[in-house]
Amino acid sequence: MNGGKTYVIATDVGGTCTDTVVFAAGEPVHIGKALSTPPDFENGVLDSIRSAADSMGVGLEDLLSRTGLFTHGSTVVDNALLTRDGARTGLITTEGFEDTLLVTRGAYGRWAGLAEEGLKHPVKTDRAPPLVPAARIRGVPERVDYKGAVIRELDEDSAEAAIRHLVEAMGVEAIAVCFLWSCYNPDHERRVRDIAAAAAPGAYVTISSDIAPVPGEYERTSTTVINAYAGRIAYDYVTELEALLADRGYGGPLLVMQGYGGLLPAEEASRRAVGMIECGPAAGVIGARFLGAAMGDPDVIAADMGGTTFKVGVIQGGELEFAREPLVDRYHYVAPKIEVVSIGAGGGSIVSLEPRTNVPRVGPKSAGARPGPVCYGLGGMDPTLTDVMTLIGYMDPDIFLGGAMRLDVDAARAAFEAKIAQPMGMGVDEAAFGIFRVAAAQIADLIHEITVERGLDPRDFVLHAFGGSCPLLAGVFGQELSVKRIVVPYTAAVNCAFGLVSADVVHEFAHTTTRPVPTPADEINAIFAPMAERARDQLAGEGFADGDIALQWSADLRYRRQVHEVTTPVRAATPLDEAGLETLVSDFEALYERKYGKGSAYRGAGIEMTMFRLSARGRMTRPEIPVEPLAGEDAGAAHRGRRDVFVEAEGGLAPADIYDFQALAPGNLVAGPAVIHTPITTIVVQAAQTARMDAYRNIVIAFD
Amino acid sequence: MDPITFSIIRHRLFRIVDEAVITLKHVSGSAITNEGHDLMVSLYRADGSLLMGGVGFLHHLTSAAEACKATIRRFGEDINEGDVFLLNDPYTAALHTSDIYLVAPIHHRGELVAWSACFVHVYDIGATNPGGFCPDAPDIFTEGFSSPGIRLVSGGRVNQDVMDTLLNMVRSPEMVALDMSSMIACNNVARERMLALIDKYGHATVDEACRTLIGQSETLLRERLRELPDGSWKSRQYIDVQGEVFKVNLTMTKRDDSLVFDFSGSSPQAPYAINCTKWASLGGLFAPLFPLLCFDITWNEGVVRPIEMIAPEGSIVNCTRPAPVSVATVGAIQSVNNAACAAIGKMLDASEKYASEATAVWHANHFAVFMFGRNQYGGEAIGILTETFAGSGGARNFADGIDVGGEIPNPISRMANVETLETIFPLRYLFRRRMRDSGGPGRYRGGAGMEIGLTPHDAPDGGLHYVVSGKGADFPMSDGLAGGYPGAPNSYVWVKNNEADADERNADAAFGQSVDDLPGEQERISWGVFPLMGEDVLYLRWNGGGGFGDPLDREPGSVLEDCRAGVVSREIAASVYGVAVDEDLAGFDAEATAARRKALSAQRLPAEAAE
Repeated sequence: MNGGKTYVIATDVGGTCTDTVVFAAGEPVHIGKALSTPPDFENGVLDSIRSAADSMGVGLEDLLSRTGLFTHGSTVVDNALLTRDGARTGLITTEGFEDTLLVTRGAYGRWAGLAEEGLKHPVKTDRAPPLVPAARIRGVPERVDYKGAVIRELDEDSAEAAIRHLVEAMGVEAIAVCFLWSCYNPDHERRVRDIAAAAAPGAYVTISSDIAPVPGEYERTSTTVINAYAGRIAYDYVTELEALLADRGYGGPLLVMQGYGGLLPAEEASRRAVGMIECGPAAGVIGARFLGAAMGDPDVIAADMGGTTFKVGVIQGGELEFAREPLVDRYHYVAPKIEVVSIGAGGGSIVSLEPRTNVPRVGPKSAGARPGPVCYGLGGMDPTLTDVMTLIGYMDPDIFLGGAMRLDVDAARAAFEAKIAQPMGMGVDEAAFGIFRVAAAQIADLIHEITVERGLDPRDFVLHAFGGSCPLLAGVFGQELSVKRIVVPYTAAVNCAFGLVSADVVHEFAHTTTRPVPTPADEINAIFAPMAERARDQLAGEGFADGDIALQWSADLRYRRQVHEVTTPVRAATPLDEAGLETLVSDFEALYERKYGKGSAYRGAGIEMTMFRLSARGRMTRPEIPVEPLAGEDAGAAHRGRRDVFVEAEGGLAPADIYDFQALAPGNLVAGPAVIHTPITTIVVQAAQTARMDAYRNIVIAFD
Repeated sequence: MDPITFSIIRHRLFRIVDEAVITLKHVSGSAITNEGHDLMVSLYRADGSLLMGGVGFLHHLTSAAEACKATIRRFGEDINEGDVFLLNDPYTAALHTSDIYLVAPIHHRGELVAWSACFVHVYDIGATNPGGFCPDAPDIFTEGFSSPGIRLVSGGRVNQDVMDTLLNMVRSPEMVALDMSSMIACNNVARERMLALIDKYGHATVDEACRTLIGQSETLLRERLRELPDGSWKSRQYIDVQGEVFKVNLTMTKRDDSLVFDFSGSSPQAPYAINCTKWASLGGLFAPLFPLLCFDITWNEGVVRPIEMIAPEGSIVNCTRPAPVSVATVGAIQSVNNAACAAIGKMLDASEKYASEATAVWHANHFAVFMFGRNQYGGEAIGILTETFAGSGGARNFADGIDVGGEIPNPISRMANVETLETIFPLRYLFRRRMRDSGGPGRYRGGAGMEIGLTPHDAPDGGLHYVVSGKGADFPMSDGLAGGYPGAPNSYVWVKNNEADADERNADAAFGQSVDDLPGEQERISWGVFPLMGEDVLYLRWNGGGGFGDPLDREPGSVLEDCRAGVVSREIAASVYGVAVDEDLAGFDAEATAARRKALSAQRLPAEAAE
């Protein structure tokens, strides 16, 4: 799809930075970085591309005119929700169920997303304010049953009156429509959409059977509301960015990342605001999968730690896990979305002592980028994890961010001593080592829990450490988890953008209907056939040749009378024959037991299929990651002396070799304890570990 | 002890409980465990005392401690590595027979070093009524299988004879078997992780951290108690069953750094299954105490030490065998929850420092309807309507209660979607919405409860039956605080559409939007087993949270907003809040409001005082 042009550009807009990577065959990977510019994120996009162009010594227009493909991920929808900047939205429901959104399945919406402190303190917790208040919710007479049968006709007059009331009396700009069981019979919702188009042509309308055709009315309603609320913003953003790029000489397609890790053409993406939620972290996981595949590692734990949060995703056998109960801000939604779990632990996380007991903790409060850590000298008064890293010798104060900022170690020491070490009755060094260990242990606990949740064992995985702060800690928590090895990717600082160029165009289709096991294969094929036809047409229309189109069928199965559904890929040839269907069922049983534990299956009540999914992939040409010839193991050329740093196995300071990442050559070997400084992060190699730069310039840490 | 290692070990203990909860939910796969979060997992010391309580139904934390201690007393030296014991006798430790405890010793190098314990509400326990709640049980003997302690697993191997005997006594043994597997797996995960922790840090260090953790909790709670004013606070709960009224009477006395809950004056034990045993009462008072007084303190034995309970033997809160107790968790125990919440709220409100922690009573009254019969697929369906977990928040000293915001004794409760329930049961919902005027009026309003209407749909037998053991239909139970009114009572109505003459029905009866819309004779029910057949409707309405402060002090603008949101009627706005809301809800009449409030205020006082 790149029309013979030279470059592929990927730009990821995050909360703080907008990152760009530029690929071309035979050239090194070029990287650009700029600050994000909310709410007009498109300006930051251009800044970031310009930064990459500068490093290549070309102009922005020049670069764009020689670019054949632009892939993009943006936090614009997350930001609209976080800042409550969306449209004034109304909601139409089935009469009698107007409160579904507001009551959030009881306390669920109150406690979901809370950490331990919140869960244990109900008196001080509340729901997030609803995106649609009660006064803008109208029920209309209609009813469909659990089989999809209409048992009460839609009252069209009432629907029109509701729309007019919302638009004319309540002044709404967007309307969400969610009826009970519309996932099985969308007719009433579609009629309301048509009525709205006639009665309120200016309103942005989302119907639940379009955006989230799955059972579970609370989550479906919430998703529909989110899409209506942020719909116009997403649409305007994507179309404006397209125009802006065209204006600067770009003539190719714009592909936009989705939370499920696939790209969509701009035209389709602009109509699915919910799809863009958390697409940056999803791209990060896709990037880790791509790199893992290139390195022969199909099982990867992808850990990203920046200034405020620690995020982790799991790739198993090259497959990604979708989130079961996704939340954005504190709102539930339902959409295929790669599971990325996060906790409030980053370089900027504030270190504090619990009042009265003086037990230390890291986060969840963060000093952010401003005032930031004490050692930045920007006015931060509270010691942060980054300050601790400075105190334990991991940071070189003179070359932080390539020398762009000098770290004030004395200020960090003074603040840490006064606020942490002294109250704990410990020396500064000892206390700082301790805080480092607490942070590493908390991360190990989190990763352990999320792997257990999937029935997995961290010992089977390779750990990828991304972000500015992760490579400082990974040697310790990676060892505690006994992962196979640790990889600090060359593109660790722009990992999400890197993921964008390794993604495919993916359209997700789903059909919700229940079928018992066994059901004749023909009947199952008949469910998939229309989806497959639509998928092929769509991808063909986007310019994919037959050979680049792959359709993956899968089905959600469950044991009757149990609640867990497992999305099971169809491994057999499609359309299915009876044997292929049997394989699907036995695969389900194996997956179920792996995920939920031995003896968790109760077959007596029978098995049923509840959803049929088709993932239609248009294969993109992957840019080649440049491979360099391996030099010898001797890293002497990059050696920059020795300095005392905290070595976990020693329980204190010990001399470590210091290396300059940029002077290392592929093949070089570094024995721990050692510190490798890169322009954007610091890699700490603990004792009894060795680090090797591989042919991609990744640092691979192995345990002795 | 070294604060760093302590911090790491404490965090890991909490995560161990978390991981065990995940395992419990995974393996069980049941709706009540997964959708309702009717579960609990905790860690205990070698002597059975509470070490790390998890979230879930909190009244189990201390009862499961007693289950561990009872197991130690019963089995003594004969407790071995890899054993798992089952205990569900309420007169030994459990709350009622259907909440089964599985407690497991954790041995390190042959030495007993800790226990893990968990519970789920099992699918069935073989009692008179399916699901385990037996409102008409005359005694414990009709409330199903009950064990004061039996070895279910020996050295890692399930004692199949024991398991088979248990499963032979229950309905849907496969589902109960799954509940058992989930609890065994949960204990296994807790043991493996606990042992990994001990292997890493050594038994002596972990043991010291545990002792420190417990000591710290005790110190913190005692310090907090010392900061609170000394005094006695009273609260009272009335439980109405079949026209009879029973009372839970609490006097809570705080002196220095200890707290005594005295239930003297409570009714003698009842002939109904609402009674509870003393371990249940103890758990019942701790359920609100943990989150209200110990929100920033680890829930363990240290929190238990400063607390004393007096519960007269033979009373409704300390019944004697063989009194029936199957409804206890939504009967006397819940009233103990409420009474303790109310008394603690009063104490907190009397403290300048802690007033913002004070709350009126949340969700005082589970309606706990168990459905049973054949489902639309021809299979058996037994299960609770999970809306019972969708209680509402009590008003707080600084804010309204949360509409349908849950309950204090289970901080992570939730209900299933209508679209889930309509596939589990052959039922159709007519409506499910917040109940107008259900939140207790006050300067801060109690959260609204809900109302639902249910009718059979595609039922092969024409419908279902259900067990209802409801109270709180005659008296409100979610007490207000500081002059706030209680939340509205529950209501249970059997609408006998089936028996209405065809010409008395209107076309839309099947989609009636309120109980008043529905034709056919209506019978108020609350106790026993009833049919839901043909075109019958079951109408349920449940209490809102209690209010806080005088409703006449509520901002009139807030009352107007409540009217617009549909949670307060204009009538109540006028009669209780004294606010004259315009008919079209466009605004309110400030002058009329001032006059009305003055008049309402005057009515409350003797004439001379009003002068």
